[in-house]
Parts: sequence; structure tokens; C-alpha cells
Amino acid sequence: MAPRLFIRRRDGRIEVRLNEAGRDVVRAMVRRVVAAEHDVDDEWDTTLNGPIDPSRDQDDPLLTLARQHDMSSNAELALMTIDEPFLNDGEAWAWLSTLQVALRATASAHGLIDDERINGADDAVLGEIQVLQSLLFSLADVV
Amino acid sequence: MAQTTRRRTTDADVATESDVSSETTTATKRPWNVVVWNDPVTPMNVVVVIFKRIFGYSNNKCTQLMLTVHHEGRAVVWSGERERAERYCVKIQVAGLQCTVEEAA
Repeated sequence: MAPRLFIRRRDGRIEVRLNEAGRDVVRAMVRRVVAAEHDVDDEWDTTLNGPIDPSRDQDDPLLTLARQHDMSSNAELALMTIDEPFLNDGEAWAWLSTLQVALRATASAHGLIDDERINGADDAVLGEIQVLQSLLFSLADVV
Repeated sequence: MAQTTRRRTTDADVATESDVSSETTTATKRPWNVVVWNDPVTPMNVVVVIFKRIFGYSNNKCTQLMLTVHHEGRAVVWSGERERAERYCVKIQVAGLQCTVEEAA
């Protein structure tokens, strides 16, 4: 049985049981999301800025701005709490949202849009995706 | 005679006006759907947690919606007024799922 990476304590806090290597992975992913949010040429941009209403030529700028603001806020909160031994619910949600954005952006940037392509993917990319999936799977159990 | 004729005309006008009005109202109130799309990498329990957090649905409803996304490639997770649909869509995108809005058929 895989070790639980996040545990909900009796006092309501979420204990982060990641070692330094694990925290480094989270840190790198969160930084990547922050960087991609500020660079329209980034390969993650397509995932971060997907259409809201595909029937329109362009989405409402206020909505896209709100999305960018909320994604950045989550990523920055995750970055600020990356070394904390415990997270509250809001911080855990920021971790989950940001890691989920990173997971989908990683898969999408490598063209992994279906099971067939995932099965034929490079081992390094698959490893990166599996690490993110493990983190998210464990985190979703306690959020 | 003239009075009778005038009253008939008025009744007919009112009836016609009412019919047109109700048809117009129906046409402008078509709901907008929030559609979540499947992707091959997101863990299933993550999708359930996101639906619970954003919509406050029961665990069972969230699981059902997640399974619909998984098996059918997409699921309508909320329907209603356009602006609210767009705001929900943004929340889901911020949480990392692929989501769009569309006018209900």
C-alpha cells in the first residue's frame, strides 16, 4: 500500500508528509504554473487559457482576467506554503488546483490527449505525470 | 353592431399579443450548460472533489457526474443563466479541468 502523502489531523489541519524531494517536485510545478501565467508564448498557455464559450470569437476579457487572477492566486498561495508542515483547507485547495492545472498542462503539452498516446509516451514524461497523479490522488482524499 | 365588432377585434388583438409575448419569453430563456470534458490523466477522485467544492453537490451526484464524463467524454454539470454558467466554467477551469459553456439545444 502506497504511503499517504497528506493526512487530515483531528484538529482539522492537513499534515504534509512529503520529503524534500517531494516538496521540490511541487515547488517546480507551482513555479511552472506561475511562469506560464505570465507568458503567452509558453507551451502551457493553451491549457491555462482554454476557451470558455467556443461559439464566440473571443471570450469576455473580464472573465479571462478573473481566471488568470484566480489561477495566479492559487499558485502563489501554494508557493508561499510549500515548506509548511500543515495546511488549512484553503491552502490545500490551492495546492490541489495548481497541481491539477500542472498535470493537465504537462499532458497536453506532450500531446497526451488519449489513452493510446499515453501508453506510447516517453518514460520521463510518464514518470512526471504519475508523480503528479499520486500527489493529487492523496490530496483529494483529505480536501 | 359597431360596438360588438369593436369588442371582438379587441379580444382577438389581446389574444394574439399574448401568444406572441409568451413565445418570445420562451425563446430568450433557453438555459446555458456548463460542460466538463474528459481527459485521460486526471484522477477520478480529484474530479469528484472539484465538483463538490464548486457546486456543493452530494457525493453521489458528484460521482455520477464524474462517471458520465469518464464514459461519455463529457457531462453537463450545471444549467441555467448564461452569466452564472460562465462563472462556474471559470471556477472549474481554475481548478484544472477542461470545461466550456454552450447554449442548451
